[in-house]
Parts: sequence; C-alpha cells; structure tokens
Amino acid sequence: MNLERLPNEEKLSLCRKYYLVTLAFCQIFLFISPGGFAFLPFLWLVNVVWFFREAFLKPAYTEQLQIKAYVKRSALGLLLWVAVLTTWITIYQHFRAEWGEVGDYLSFTIPLGIP
Amino acid sequence: MQAWTVIVDRHRGPSSWTVIAFLRRFFALSDDLCCFLLLQSQNAMNASDSDEDIYNERSALVRSESPALPSYIPDSDLTPPNGTPTKRLKAGISRRPGAAAADGGGSDPEVEAEEEEPLKYGAKHVIMLFIPVTLCMVVVVATIKSVSFYMEKTDQQLIYTPFTENTSSVGRRLLNSVLNTIIMISVIVVMTIFLVVLYKYRCYKFIHGWLILSSLMLLFWFSFMYLGEVFRTYNLAMDYPTVGVIIWNFGAVGMICIHWKGPLQLQQAYLILISALMALVFIKYLPEWSAWVILGAISVYDLVAVLSPKGPLRMLVETAQERNEPIFPALIYSSAMVWTVGMASPNETQRSEPGGVKLGLGDFIFYSVLVGKAAATGGDWNTTLACFVAILIGLCLTLLLLAIFKKALPALPISITFGLIFYFSTDFLVQPFMDNLAAHQFYI
Repeated sequence: MNLERLPNEEKLSLCRKYYLVTLAFCQIFLFISPGGFAFLPFLWLVNVVWFFREAFLKPAYTEQLQIKAYVKRSALGLLLWVAVLTTWITIYQHFRAEWGEVGDYLSFTIPLGIP
Repeated sequence: MQAWTVIVDRHRGPSSWTVIAFLRRFFALSDDLCCFLLLQSQNAMNASDSDEDIYNERSALVRSESPALPSYIPDSDLTPPNGTPTKRLKAGISRRPGAAAADGGGSDPEVEAEEEEPLKYGAKHVIMLFIPVTLCMVVVVATIKSVSFYMEKTDQQLIYTPFTENTSSVGRRLLNSVLNTIIMISVIVVMTIFLVVLYKYRCYKFIHGWLILSSLMLLFWFSFMYLGEVFRTYNLAMDYPTVGVIIWNFGAVGMICIHWKGPLQLQQAYLILISALMALVFIKYLPEWSAWVILGAISVYDLVAVLSPKGPLRMLVETAQERNEPIFPALIYSSAMVWTVGMASPNETQRSEPGGVKLGLGDFIFYSVLVGKAAATGGDWNTTLACFVAILIGLCLTLLLLAIFKKALPALPISITFGLIFYFSTDFLVQPFMDNLAAHQFYI
C-alpha cells in the first residue's frame, strides 16, 4: 500500500485507525481488558514511521494537522512503552537469579549454567 | 492435526502470478492479451499442533477470452494495466493495483499512458522477485544452521505422513516415502477441490475465516515456538511477560498488515517471515526421503493443476475472471512498484502502473523447503548454494516462459526440478569430487 496514492482523507482515516484499531483488535482477542489497546507499541511504531513523512515533511494540507496529532500521540505511547519495557527487562535480567522460585516461574526460557 | 491449506491465490490461495504489467512492459503487449502468470504451488501445510487446514495453492489467472498470442507481436491497442478501480481489494490486500493481474482479468481496460516497457523494467521485475525469494531462503538456511531444533530428528510425524522411515531395508523405506507422498498429495488435491467448490458457491466468509485462522496460527503459535527455540539456542533468559508482549505485537501487527492495510514493505516482510516459518515446520516434520519425493510430486501436481483444462486451480482462476472479482490476495506476495505518470488530478485513474510481480506464498515455502533441506542434510555449503542458484534460474526461466506463452504457468516445476537435480548431483558427485581435489591439493 502506497501512501502517495491515497487521497488525504483516507490517509487521515488510516492513521487514526492505526492508532485506535488496536482497541477493537484487543477486544476481539483479549475479551477482558478494554485497555488492551495500549498493548501494541509496535503498531504505534509502524504508525509513526509510516506517517512521519506525511505529517512533518510534506507541505501542509487540511488533514495534516490531525495526522500530526495522531502521529505525536502514537510516538508518545511508544516512548512510554519503551521506557516501561526497558525498565522491566533490566530488572528481570538482573534479579532473575536472586528471585529464586518466582524468577523461574516467570521465565520462559531458563539459561543453562551458573548465573 | 490437520493440514493447513492456505490459498494464496486470488482465491485466497497461494497463487503466484506475475503481473501482466511485467509482460506488458516487456513485450509491448496489449493488456487484453496479457495473461497472468499463474504460478501455482500447492502446499499442504501440516503442523502437528495445528488444528486447522490451510491449503496453499496458487492459481494463475488466465483471461478466458484472450487467445494466446505470440509474445513478440506488438499490439497496437496497448492498454494499461488495470488502474485503481479494480484494485479495491478486499481486506488484507495491500497489493498494488499493478496487481493488475490480480483480479481475474475482468479489469477495465484503460488506455495506457505509457507505451514501452523498457527492458530494464522487465529486469527490475525479475529482480523484485529474486530479492524476497532469496530473503526467505536466507532466513530458513540461517535458522537451520544455527537453531538445532529444526534439524533434530523427531519421531513425531505429521498425520499426513504416517509411514515411518525408520525401517531397515532401503526398499521398504522408499516404499514408505512414496506412500507418504501419495497421502500428502491426495490431501492437497482434496483441499484444492474443496476450496474451488467453496469459491464456486461463493462461501467467501468461510474461506475468509479459514485464512484468518490459519494466519493466526502461523503468526502466533509458530513464531512463539520459533522464538523459544532461538532463545534456547543462544541460552538467553526470557520472561513470560516480555515474550507475551513481543508475540502479541508481532502477531497483531502481522494480522493487520496482511489482512487489512499496511505499509507495503512491512507486509512483504511478514509474508516472507511466515513463509519461512512454514518451510521450517515442513523441514522439521517431514521425514527425509518423503520430503524429496513430495517436492517432486508437488511440482508435477502444480503442472497438472494449472495447465490441464480441468485442473482445479485453472478453474479457480477462470471463475474469478468470469466474476470479475479480485481473489483474496492476502497470501500473495506482491512486490508492486507504482509509477504514476502525469497525474493530472488525484482522481485520475489513468495511471500507468507497471505493477509488481506477484508470487504465491506456496512457491516461497517450497523453494525454501528445498534449500533448507539441502542445508540440513546436504554435505556443506556447496550443495546449499547450488540449490539456491538452481531455484533462481528456474524462476527466471519460468518468467521467460510466461512471457512467451502468455498463459498461466506453474512456478514450481522448473525450479524444483533444477533444484532436485542440482541437489542430488552436487551431493553425490560434485561434493566428493571437490573433497578429493582438496585432499590431494589439486586446484583446478
């Protein structure tokens, strides 16, 4: 799908959907948490990268303001998620051995050898 | 366990087509006279833990009304590939309109703005197919060489290959592999026919749901297994929450990109990845000799299904053309390039889109299975490289034949034949020869 070929309204709509569609997606797949939409940082990353040129590097057009807003919001959500994930991964990798049983319970793969 | 059949073709089947645009460009043919190359490959995907059937098959589109013309006759009425209108594909289609070929020929002929197909564009299209095929094979070979899981012998076999190969006599083993192949191919045939019937009776929702479920399985479950094995190989610790987030993101964005809309490169990347995953499953779970016989048999089946008048894939294509509909292209790799020529207004549909080249995912999968098996069981890199080159040569020839015959052609036979020939000759003749030369320090 090439962005150039889309008229502006469709671009906006697509950007908005990328930002929001995770909500519907999560409601299908999670069934439980309406906050599931917040769990797709990758989608937000795609949104930011894909619409970056449209939002910031192209001459202005009517829908561009809204596209910019969505891109910014996606970028914000993405940054938040990166911070959370980095923190958690650091904590986990550092303290996994010390946590003993809890650490093993949390682990998907346990490396062999002495930590 | 069930076989998965993923229809990559327009009809939700894995169909590989080379877009007419390529031909058109290449041979200055009128759009009406271009046929879609139907590269078919049918993949029966079996996963021991899958509970869904996916059938991979590619169907070629043939213009039912167009006669086969010699490719070198330039047509005066050059029509451009179908423009945007017919390219409103259904969900999951992020194909370029160039996918002109897509939609069963019933596309509205448009006055072509461009005329010639400079040869360089033709070459570009061929390269555009080489790159994804190469990438897929690289991913598969890299995994095979590094993650030992996929090379480990397992007693667990797919339900479609019930005969074991752990027998003492060679004859028995050969017999078992042939029997396995027969079972597998019949499953594939049944699935294909089932799909054609579904399509004929317009059970689109069923097909849609089937495809979505199968890609769900691929994107979530197989990638989860793959990730686990990679972490185990590199002895990394990973916790469930992080893995959950990673797989959830990967899968969700993949579903969106493949079945809905997304950036083209991302969609291409996902298609390559899921083809590689499927190929790895095949490599792991198909017994050795059965795998080779199955490869050969599938090429023959591909040939038959696409070219014979009553072949299911051909019927699929023709049905789609009669109905003037785009088939579900969610599982076709599209490497479309879009050229807009002198767009006067945004609404103008007279675009010249050379379109890209389309190849069904089944083709990717079987090519990768061949090269992956060569890497896993062959002598060393010589064999792998030889198979790789053979497949690319086969692909080139297939595209050439497409241009010559201008009708749907299967993509598997030539490449797989070359691949098999190269594999066995390299493994049994060239490799020992080179080893001997090296041992005697004799350089040629």
